[in-house]
Amino acid sequence: MIKQLLKISFVVMASLELVACSKSETVTMPVVTVSTKVVNDLMADTVLGLASNGMPYSAGKYTFYSLENNAIVPSTDSASAKWDLAFMSTRILTNGGTSGPALGGAFIYTGLFDDLKTISADSVFKTDNAPTYAITTGSGKGWYTYDQLTSLITPLAGRVLVIRTASGKYAKLEITSYYKGGVTLPVSASDLEKLTKQRYYTFRYTYQSNGSKTF
Amino acid sequence: MHKKPFILLFFIIPQVLWGQVKFVKDTLFAGGDSVVVTATRSERKLSNLTVPVTLINAQTIQQTGSIRLTDILKEQTGLTMTSGFGAGVQLQGLNPDYTIILINGEPLVGRTAGVLDLNRVALGNIKKIEIVKGPSSSLYGSEAMAGVINIITDASVQSPLQASLRYGTYNTKDINLNNAFSSKSLLYQGFYNYYTTDGYSIRPNSNNRITTPINRLTTSQQFKFNINEHASILINARLTDETIKSNITVSNGGVTINSNGNEHNTDANVSASLNYHFAPNFKTSFRSYLTNYISKQDLLTISGAPYNDLLNHLFKRIENQSDWAVNKNLNSIFGLGAVWEGVKSSRYDSEKLRKENTIQYGFTQWEWTPMNKLIIIGGIRFDKNATYASAWSPKLSMLYKINQYHKIRLSIGQGFKAPDFRQLYLDFTNAAAGNYSVFGSAQAQKVIEQLSSLGQIGVLYNNYYLLKALQPESSTGMHFSWEWTPSSKTFINTQIFRNDITNLIEVQQVGTYITGAQIFSYLNIGRAFTQGAELEFKQNLSNHIVLSGGYQYLITGDKDQIAQIKAGKVYTRDANNMSARLTMSDYVGLPNVSKHKAQIKINYLSQHGFFANIRIIYRSKWVVNNTNGNEVYDNGDDFAPAYYSLHSAIGKEYKNGIAVQIGSDNINNYIDALHLPNLAGRTYFINLKYQIKYKNLK
Repeated sequence: MIKQLLKISFVVMASLELVACSKSETVTMPVVTVSTKVVNDLMADTVLGLASNGMPYSAGKYTFYSLENNAIVPSTDSASAKWDLAFMSTRILTNGGTSGPALGGAFIYTGLFDDLKTISADSVFKTDNAPTYAITTGSGKGWYTYDQLTSLITPLAGRVLVIRTASGKYAKLEITSYYKGGVTLPVSASDLEKLTKQRYYTFRYTYQSNGSKTF
Repeated sequence: MHKKPFILLFFIIPQVLWGQVKFVKDTLFAGGDSVVVTATRSERKLSNLTVPVTLINAQTIQQTGSIRLTDILKEQTGLTMTSGFGAGVQLQGLNPDYTIILINGEPLVGRTAGVLDLNRVALGNIKKIEIVKGPSSSLYGSEAMAGVINIITDASVQSPLQASLRYGTYNTKDINLNNAFSSKSLLYQGFYNYYTTDGYSIRPNSNNRITTPINRLTTSQQFKFNINEHASILINARLTDETIKSNITVSNGGVTINSNGNEHNTDANVSASLNYHFAPNFKTSFRSYLTNYISKQDLLTISGAPYNDLLNHLFKRIENQSDWAVNKNLNSIFGLGAVWEGVKSSRYDSEKLRKENTIQYGFTQWEWTPMNKLIIIGGIRFDKNATYASAWSPKLSMLYKINQYHKIRLSIGQGFKAPDFRQLYLDFTNAAAGNYSVFGSAQAQKVIEQLSSLGQIGVLYNNYYLLKALQPESSTGMHFSWEWTPSSKTFINTQIFRNDITNLIEVQQVGTYITGAQIFSYLNIGRAFTQGAELEFKQNLSNHIVLSGGYQYLITGDKDQIAQIKAGKVYTRDANNMSARLTMSDYVGLPNVSKHKAQIKINYLSQHGFFANIRIIYRSKWVVNNTNGNEVYDNGDDFAPAYYSLHSAIGKEYKNGIAVQIGSDNINNYIDALHLPNLAGRTYFINLKYQIKYKNLK
């Protein structure tokens, strides 16, 4: 079973931000409380074993996840707006476009998680259009790199997945590990360990429930 | 004659051969009478060279028990052995691709991924090894970017027959036979070497051998005909033939494939030169050279699928060099040459079709001695190439003898490395790992256009549109050294250096297939630097004991990455695994480069032919893999740990021509199978040698 830990790492008090609406009028946004949650070891189609030809095999199924509820969504609800992200090995779907019926989309922000306080107005959210995805796949192209020599997947540092959820709200998410236990395996780990302990996502995210683009 | 025991280091005069114990003067301290040819393409005394040169003579090689070129190079200051695609040499922080390896002035070819496996070179017949540090393309053209290693075999006859037999750990046998003949008009030297080993496994609980069983045969034949007092002809032929039993394990994406079979490599070279002295101050030589390297891998994978790989590199060169002493203060050389080379490979579009390149070049060098204390050398070379951009390579160097104790040397030069055939013509799709493709830059656009018309191309990146004729990679190097000989017992040389490299050729993704599989090609994009300092010293502790050593401090960096780090655009992971900005203090530089490398040696030599030595080699940690989520090497990445290895040999040379030697390498049994696959655990050897004495032949 997946252990999900909900940690309130810190609370961001979005300080009274001034947004200029017209030359004379200013609107004070309400105080927004958002929390950053950590999800540990979310299984994403983990390897079940080795076939007789030595190739690894898995169930080939996505794990659907709701950021709003911080919970796994049963795959029977895959055609609904109940999930925001779906994970299968290194691929992450958003609930929109060719992947789902809802408003989901995403883009990848280069920078630090904590520095991303507001999604800038000119940001363009992409939607899934298989075989290309809002969260770009491929080594060095999206959220991870794959080293052919060590066979290790390493999440790129300084990449924040900016998510538009199924209901059209916003979240920011940083993947910190692809391996069971929350730390990338050492290079010296055995091939078998590298196979069987991969596809476990550890990430932190901040979900903004009020619909604004400010965290 | 006042007799002193000779000194066993890099700078011994070469007349002293193993088995012939002679006492000679300390030539190094007397002014470096040893003759070096590589630095100026003409015979110059070590003490008159303007560039940094390391000289290793036959005696040092034999007394350390070195049998392959790798054995002796790893004990030199500023040189580090690399593994992967054979044993290569990193010189002052630059990869094996950037050092040209010569045998009697002619280049060895047959590189795999830029690396020339130096285990190919047997040391049983060599007279000396000369290592020139710093860009030397002004004399040698492509590949002489970090420096030049020239292996010189012995043309002078010392003994009509000598044989040696060595046996060591892992059932390693090394058998040498040298024969020689001399008359007034003919000098002949023949050399035969047979090397075989069972290989070894240093990976615990694994039956995979790190070094697999090898059988290797080398022969070299050298003839010198003295036609008359003005003319001579020199012919050299060399053949190395090796069979390696392969048991290769390849892991890709967690899928491990075992393959069994043979790898067979043949390296043949023939050179002929005609030397003619027109006048005491003018001589010329015509040289022709042909070399062919053929490497074949025939493997069978456990799935039953065959895997065959072929590389056939043919290289021909003709060259003329003339040496003209204009007056007693001014010497010059002029050279003209042409190269034709071709490569056939199963990794190109057709293994039957040879990819070709031709080069024409010319060079000149002027050596000016305005006063006894000062020598200034300037040279320039132009290489015109058929398949890539041409290159100019200038160099300027000087030596100033401040007084009998102090000398300073300063040199600045440019070096280049031509794009190799792989970078131009590779046509390789890796079916074992996601079907990605790599296309050489000369054909990438054509191949991709064809694929595109077949509807197989998904996305083309901006890099695709940047593809154009590759430029040579080039470096500008500066070396400054200060040599201090406070007494006849002490020698200290310090050196600082810097190399700036531009136009580095790197593999870049240029697009994807419709399936999403990646397509790569080669572009000139990188900029890097290496800089550091070296210290070499020796001290006679007594008439019989010499202490010597060397140290190198090295820092390297990728200039584009540094610019990105300074702009705050590079990220790393902090102690809690969260992203953080990378600062310069955590930046490491280029991979596989150690900041510190040192060695220390103690040599003992009695008057009765008994010798003993202890050598320690140290290398500080080096970064090997990016593991913390950026494409920059920093302190959060995966390092190979620092290590040292201890080596020793003792021996005795008897007056009747018999010599016995025993030794042990890696006595401290340091093993790091992952990062140092070429370093076996502790090994022992015993060597017996006999030579027929032969006096006063020249």
